[in-house]
Amino acid sequence: MSEKIGIYVCECGPNIASKVDIEKIMDEISKLEDFKDKELVIKNHKLLCSNEGKEFLEKEINENKLTHLVCAACSPRDHDTTFINVCKKTQLNPYLYRIVNIREHCAWIIPDKEEATRKAIQYIHAGMNRVLYQDSLFEKELDSNPDVLVIGGGIAGMEAALNLAGEKRKVFLIEKEENLSGKAVFLPEQKISDVQKNKNIKVFTKTVLDKLIGFMGNFEVVLKSTENPDETTELLAGAVVVATGYEFFDSKKLPEFEFEDKDDVINSLEAERMFSENKKITLKNGKEPKTVTLVHCVGRKEVGFCSKICCDYMLKISNYLKEQSSSIKITHLIKYLNLPYKNSQNFYNKIKEKGVEFIRYSDLSVNGTKVEYTDINDKKGKLESDLVILAPAMIASKGSQELAELLNIDLHETGYFQEVHQKINPVSSTTDGIFIIGSARGPANIIDAMQQAKAATGKIFTQLIPGEKIIPEVMVSEILEAYCTGCQTCLQVCGYDAIYFDDERGISVVNEAVCRGCGNCVGSCPSGSIRTKHFTNPQLYQEVKEAIR
Amino acid sequence: MDNPENVLIIGSGVAGMEASLMLSKAGKKVYLVENLPIIGGKIIKNEESFPNMDCSTCLVAPIQQEILQDANIEVLTLSTVEKVTGKQGDFKVTVRKKARYVNLEACLGCGMCYPVCPVVLKNEWEENLMDKKAVYVPCSGSLPNVPVVDASECLFLNGKDKSCNKCVEACMFGAMDFSQKDEELKLDVTGIIVATGFELFNVQELENLGYGKYPGVYTAFEFERLFASNGPTEGKLFLRDSEKTPDSVAIVHCVGRDEVGYCSNICCMSSSKHARFIKHNLHDAKIYNIYSDICLTDKSYQKFYDETKSHDSEFIFQSDRKKMNISKKDGKLEVSYFNGKETKESILVEMVILANALRPSDTIEELSKTLEIKRDSFGFIEIEPSKIGSVETSRPGIFVAGCAEGPKDIQGSVIQSEAAVAEILSMLDR
Repeated sequence: MSEKIGIYVCECGPNIASKVDIEKIMDEISKLEDFKDKELVIKNHKLLCSNEGKEFLEKEINENKLTHLVCAACSPRDHDTTFINVCKKTQLNPYLYRIVNIREHCAWIIPDKEEATRKAIQYIHAGMNRVLYQDSLFEKELDSNPDVLVIGGGIAGMEAALNLAGEKRKVFLIEKEENLSGKAVFLPEQKISDVQKNKNIKVFTKTVLDKLIGFMGNFEVVLKSTENPDETTELLAGAVVVATGYEFFDSKKLPEFEFEDKDDVINSLEAERMFSENKKITLKNGKEPKTVTLVHCVGRKEVGFCSKICCDYMLKISNYLKEQSSSIKITHLIKYLNLPYKNSQNFYNKIKEKGVEFIRYSDLSVNGTKVEYTDINDKKGKLESDLVILAPAMIASKGSQELAELLNIDLHETGYFQEVHQKINPVSSTTDGIFIIGSARGPANIIDAMQQAKAATGKIFTQLIPGEKIIPEVMVSEILEAYCTGCQTCLQVCGYDAIYFDDERGISVVNEAVCRGCGNCVGSCPSGSIRTKHFTNPQLYQEVKEAIR
Repeated sequence: MDNPENVLIIGSGVAGMEASLMLSKAGKKVYLVENLPIIGGKIIKNEESFPNMDCSTCLVAPIQQEILQDANIEVLTLSTVEKVTGKQGDFKVTVRKKARYVNLEACLGCGMCYPVCPVVLKNEWEENLMDKKAVYVPCSGSLPNVPVVDASECLFLNGKDKSCNKCVEACMFGAMDFSQKDEELKLDVTGIIVATGFELFNVQELENLGYGKYPGVYTAFEFERLFASNGPTEGKLFLRDSEKTPDSVAIVHCVGRDEVGYCSNICCMSSSKHARFIKHNLHDAKIYNIYSDICLTDKSYQKFYDETKSHDSEFIFQSDRKKMNISKKDGKLEVSYFNGKETKESILVEMVILANALRPSDTIEELSKTLEIKRDSFGFIEIEPSKIGSVETSRPGIFVAGCAEGPKDIQGSVIQSEAAVAEILSMLDR
């Protein structure tokens, strides 16, 4: 089939027309030496992006049976999609079209009309060169599995499972311990029974992840029992939710914290559990404390971040103690007060009114229930109380590193799982289809954890719809088998883990369902055996050779 | 579409935009109502956002663009919700859409209409730091990139000069349309998400801080606009009405915290960001952050704060926010405060930035009455207390996300909007 290239110059009203010579552009393009043997259709239009313009373009493509299309118009950011959508209505494959920006790149920035016109011609010429080297590409559809694997049976994991499970979506909830529950003190009982009653949730306790391969919509999962590593279960899932929670920083690791298990030094979680079980916080000998010291920010400096929720729950513990006996003398040793929840400030004021004391410390040491501190004005002080309650920093749970490797997701420098974007995509991990919620992605209270579980549910509901196919990226990398030397450099630079090594053939292979077409591998390949579709070397060369001439 | 259920989203900031795109992907029709002429919310006032100092425009412009091009999302700018009847699954909504007087389809955003307009007004979106015309876009880069006519100020529309036709003549696309009328739209929706965001505490309530009295005192948003490359000074850090750059800056945290009664979550980080920006641009400037507590809500924030503290700014602790005073001394601003030892100290600076507290948006009181949903004692929308971990309001089928529910950073707002989407989709599935 001989090529018939359509070149449509948009005037963008006066935006382009008044700053470049449209007639001259069309005339010069029609006389290009290297396109002498090609059939060209060259036309201008007042406003190609208007409804009338789009209809015009559609008709032109069909009636002229164009094989390639170049639109000389505005920034692709504005109207690339517009023209792609026009192509989709015709027989022309949208990958055989190219937009050339003669507005922002020429008309709007070059005051001299002749110069702007010359550059516009050059750019259109470059686009024409490129479009001839472009290939038709076709979207593929893949079946997807809507089921979800949830790792971690704490409050976040259970909430996610309950929200996700339905007639058309099964949930596999795995927990490494013997029972569901996690660390949350209040609430879990109801949740546990809701999970157990739900016929669309299958719970695996004393179970961990052994292996995961695949991509969003199609993960192959192998689970293994913590008791018998040979006992494995294989299943399929479309998405994974990681809700493995947190652990406390070990206060005893700090040289300035000297205490033993027999001492009345407990952590905040122990205090909360005690209160929830007995409605009382007591000493080891069963008596009620008369003086209590609460130490905030234990290990904060060592872990390098603020655990966000401790100030809030330490105030809550203070309140329990005051409810238990209003005469208890309570002192909080704080660094800063971090009260991000909207009702916390009022709560703090209320606690203060009850006579609870707050001292800002810069340094302190704990020796049994004796606490010596230096305050922010370098004044030294000593507190000897019946009970010391510590708020240790919250750190990523043990095994996060191994789990990250199994799942091929990134860890943040704090050891927690890393979001793909801290602000605008906060519950998605760095691998598509794998989500991170609750204290596995950073310190979270129960409400944070539950809302994040719902957020991940929302993401899965909209990305993995039962019965709907998924359409992977079309502009992906491909490795030319004959040239690949098997050096595996590409495996190291791929940010999506989309390349694997085929041992039998001794070459690298791209998993097209996972590849995003970033081109990292192309740049790194020493033998030049990788190309990214729609951004091949010949395509770029043809365009650039004219554009920089 | 297989599922023609419609959803109404009120507010087009990060929370409203995220929910719109997600629901559209799930095949739902979305009505996105915004009372301003543009979408994007407060984030587009920021040049860069903490902690990665990402360019905010680069972060949200693609999202805004995607929304405008999404066939499932009907963007209703200049619109307010007037009435809601019915119940979860079957709400009847009346929306009042004000006339833009510019045809959204015909206008290209070329900007030929503003220079010819004879009416000069203060641009509130730019915190009154620059002027606008009666036909205007709030800032360059506005999306949709289509101006709006201020009907009460336009000489033709307010009748002061019926012969004024300058913008109509300047427009080469025939996009000016003075025949447009305010419209009343009737929508049937199954669920509603309220994502109306926040405003900043009015610092003029605190006379001791000298805002309005001394030109060198700025609010956080005024500073954000000075800092913005598409703002009044194109990102140059000039003191108000001059071309002088400040040699010293004090950034005051927690302004209005005692008055509003809560911590606003984001100011410690945005104040650190401001310190970094100033240091980056004015290497020799002396920068002070005056704080009373440090609120860091994400795992990555402590590092940002620590680095700011060691490289860019001195952090000074003040023990009693109410005792701060700002006055004029030797041509500079004297900021006096009580330190940790309860001793009075002061610093002399040329510029003061007041990190004012977040408060519920102006429209929320009326909107909550229209929607018949409860607010908390601060005026934010309340999540139904019996539904722990949910984002549903006191009225079933109406959800809340982002700062409409309480002060939070972008991450927190996005999480709530994604949670609202999950709850709406679960509701529709039943």
